[in-house]
Amino acid sequence: MTNSHSHNDGTTHFGFKTVAENEKVSLVRGVFDSVASKYDLMNDLMSAGVHRLWKSAFLDMLRPRPDQTLLDVGGGTGDIAFGWKKRGGGPVTVCDINREMLSVGRDRAVDRNLLNGLTWVCGNAEDLPIPDRSVDRYTIAFCLRNVTHWDRAIAEAYRVLRPGGRFMCLEFSRVIVPGLREAYDSYSFNVLPKVGGMVTGNAEAYQYLVESIRKFPPQEEMAAMVEAAGFARVEVRNLSAGIAAIHSGWRL
Amino acid sequence: MPERVSAFDTKLLDILVAPGTHAPLRYDAAAQELIDDKGGLAYPIRDGIPIMLVDEARSTEGDAR
Repeated sequence: MTNSHSHNDGTTHFGFKTVAENEKVSLVRGVFDSVASKYDLMNDLMSAGVHRLWKSAFLDMLRPRPDQTLLDVGGGTGDIAFGWKKRGGGPVTVCDINREMLSVGRDRAVDRNLLNGLTWVCGNAEDLPIPDRSVDRYTIAFCLRNVTHWDRAIAEAYRVLRPGGRFMCLEFSRVIVPGLREAYDSYSFNVLPKVGGMVTGNAEAYQYLVESIRKFPPQEEMAAMVEAAGFARVEVRNLSAGIAAIHSGWRL
Repeated sequence: MPERVSAFDTKLLDILVAPGTHAPLRYDAAAQELIDDKGGLAYPIRDGIPIMLVDEARSTEGDAR
């Protein structure tokens, strides 16, 4: 089993396309730059608001505390960071490779009058600008799929967490109910790119989204990757029959 | 209108390091850059947000010290 989706010939997946490994970063950035301002609206439309419930379940499991620091990776528009602050969590750093998403998040923070204890940094999940053993909680929600080397991002999470710290990932996963799986496939391949195209003007971005979900490892494989990075007490929790899943692990 | 927060907060120097080298950073207020002296790279701060990407950093080789 491989812990990365890169191939030996220096290519990787971009949805179902195979692209040069060094191209994926800019392709993914292009996708999110083009949809940043409508990203949250799209998420609402596409998931019928369910992504909010998933994020809420994720935050419940995270149990924010004022004496803990959080590093949220890929959460540019601020959903996880705001939820953490609202529930009384300590200082948050939001690190996202995409500066359009960060701008959206920072503007939303200003609108919500949430300015203290929030830091916005542009950085790569595979090469974090964060010191070793410096954060108590690491979250990555609907982002890991878009990273070129999943295993490197998880290794970086391990590096920056303090012993006793927790890694939590929220990501699309595999539907575990067979009949529902076909319905979901049909919806996502036929409906999602069309709706995405109408709202953001970029159907290709949503085609990528759907394909990238299918390329991402299912629950057990993802859990094995988290364990391989050194995390202990790895848990998986399915949301909406596995359309999404939470993976959690502890750095001991 | 809420005031736009785009000034750089130097407290960030305690929670950020250079990617790759993990070296501490030095803030250059005039140039609006965070400098990794060890790695010889300067990371731009744009609109108050540090851009900590090696691809977008400037080599400090040849800069006057």
